[in-house]
Amino acid sequence: MAEILQFPRRAAGKAVTAANTVLTEPLRHWPAHSVDDYGRDPHLVQALSPLAHLRWNVSVGGTQHLPVKGGALLVCNTRRWALSNIFAAWALSEATDRPVRFVGRPDFVPIGPMLRRIGGLLARPDEVLGALRNHELVLVSCAMSNHSRHAGEVDHSLIGAAVVAGVPVFPVATMSSAMSRTARAEVGPQVRPRRKRKGPLAEVELAEQVQHHVQRMLDGFGGLQTGVAPLDWLAEG
Amino acid sequence: MGGELGSLVAAQLEAEPWVGALVGIDVDPPRRRLRTAEFHLLQPSQRERIVDVVTNFNPHVLINLSVWEPDARTGLTHARQFTADATTAIVGAAAECPALESMVVRSGIEVYGRARNTPTRPTELTPVDPTTEYGRMLANIERSAREVGKRVGIAVGKLRLAPVLGKHVPSPLGRLLRQPVVPFSLFADSPFAVVEDGDAARAFVAAAVNRLDEPLNIVAPGAITASQAIVRGKRIPMPLVGPEWAIARQLSHLAGAPIPEHVVELMHRGRLADGSRALELLGFQPRLTTPDVIDHLYAWESVVRVGRIREVA
Repeated sequence: MAEILQFPRRAAGKAVTAANTVLTEPLRHWPAHSVDDYGRDPHLVQALSPLAHLRWNVSVGGTQHLPVKGGALLVCNTRRWALSNIFAAWALSEATDRPVRFVGRPDFVPIGPMLRRIGGLLARPDEVLGALRNHELVLVSCAMSNHSRHAGEVDHSLIGAAVVAGVPVFPVATMSSAMSRTARAEVGPQVRPRRKRKGPLAEVELAEQVQHHVQRMLDGFGGLQTGVAPLDWLAEG
Repeated sequence: MGGELGSLVAAQLEAEPWVGALVGIDVDPPRRRLRTAEFHLLQPSQRERIVDVVTNFNPHVLINLSVWEPDARTGLTHARQFTADATTAIVGAAAECPALESMVVRSGIEVYGRARNTPTRPTELTPVDPTTEYGRMLANIERSAREVGKRVGIAVGKLRLAPVLGKHVPSPLGRLLRQPVVPFSLFADSPFAVVEDGDAARAFVAAAVNRLDEPLNIVAPGAITASQAIVRGKRIPMPLVGPEWAIARQLSHLAGAPIPEHVVELMHRGRLADGSRALELLGFQPRLTTPDVIDHLYAWESVVRVGRIREVA
């Protein structure tokens, strides 16, 4: 013989449940999202997209060079305060319909976590290597420059991640204006190393090659185009 | 074998054709019906008895799951003591077993730590650098197992589990997320990954079958932030910016859900890991993604009501 006991419900318990229901009711219709393996929130990126369009009108080219599947390392030039890596990653994500993660987020609140939510990675070779091995598109920046048509040095340790992961490396030339919305992100063909190297020279030489490719693409863009010819001539120096 | 994870592993091992005899030790009786396994109810401090049981059985494979997560079943001080005692006794006994070929120990992704500028999603190659007491406890287990493995020449697999959540798994993270009002870090709101207890048990069995001899991350795919988890669970989010976390921890403790240091770290700095190598080495892939595990967490009934009082013959 056994008895199953049921404790009486308490009035206080009912009140708490009712209060909880009232407070959580607004959340019922709130979309229940999640982030991806690296903390990028595709829904947030989508929600911020109109804001990005307000600031930049990016013309994207050369995306046919990028692999449809699999990882790839992209290297872009960056001008001081231009946020080139952010707008290029955002525009390339839209154009390729694949998340493009940019490298170089800081690791302090609130900027670090915010940039992580829109696809930022730390500038660490192991972080880049992990993403490339997981078939991600990763965009790293050349060293920052004051001139919009100058490609700075490329960190060879980050290129080394691509060498170790065995993924292709693509140059990306970016150009934007502080005065207007016009911006451009052009992906070049894959950079192939001139010589086969077994040691660390592979990444050093590949980094130099990528920098030259980006520089050549920037030279091909032509000079400043403000719409006022004398200003453009002056800018050409 | 008495805890939820231990019982699950034992039940799955019983179903394996390569397992002849099975012996388990724990401080609690098994939570499931085990048909062939032999169980010994022993405290971690009973080292002599544990060594006797293990050496008399002389296993081919030893799985050590005896990890007390702080504020899961006991407070930090006791958790540290029990874990250290159990590790000394079980890993020490393993070294005395001549037939032993392989040992699999439980660890956690807390061993990577979350210091500033540490990788967002560490792989097994990332150096171990724990930043919480729980992480240091797990690192000690790994070190002890590795030393014994080297000394007696056996394979030592270390499964670094993401926070384990399950129906009956005592977890401070699960308990916190199921509270009606849940605090989260407003400015950080970092992503974390978890793993379901059934998936974790399958990983242990796979590691034992394959005689794993290296560390391996066991993480459910995907990630979620605390605020997203709270919204999914229809809980009331309480955004915190920093100093008031101390008060929130005290209040949560009073409400029956203490928030240990490693869970606070998870809330602030996130806790992700790359679990892709488990598929390569063991052919193991978790069945549930992290958002699925969180959804299951909120789907569990708080109280199961069984109806009117009635007599049962």
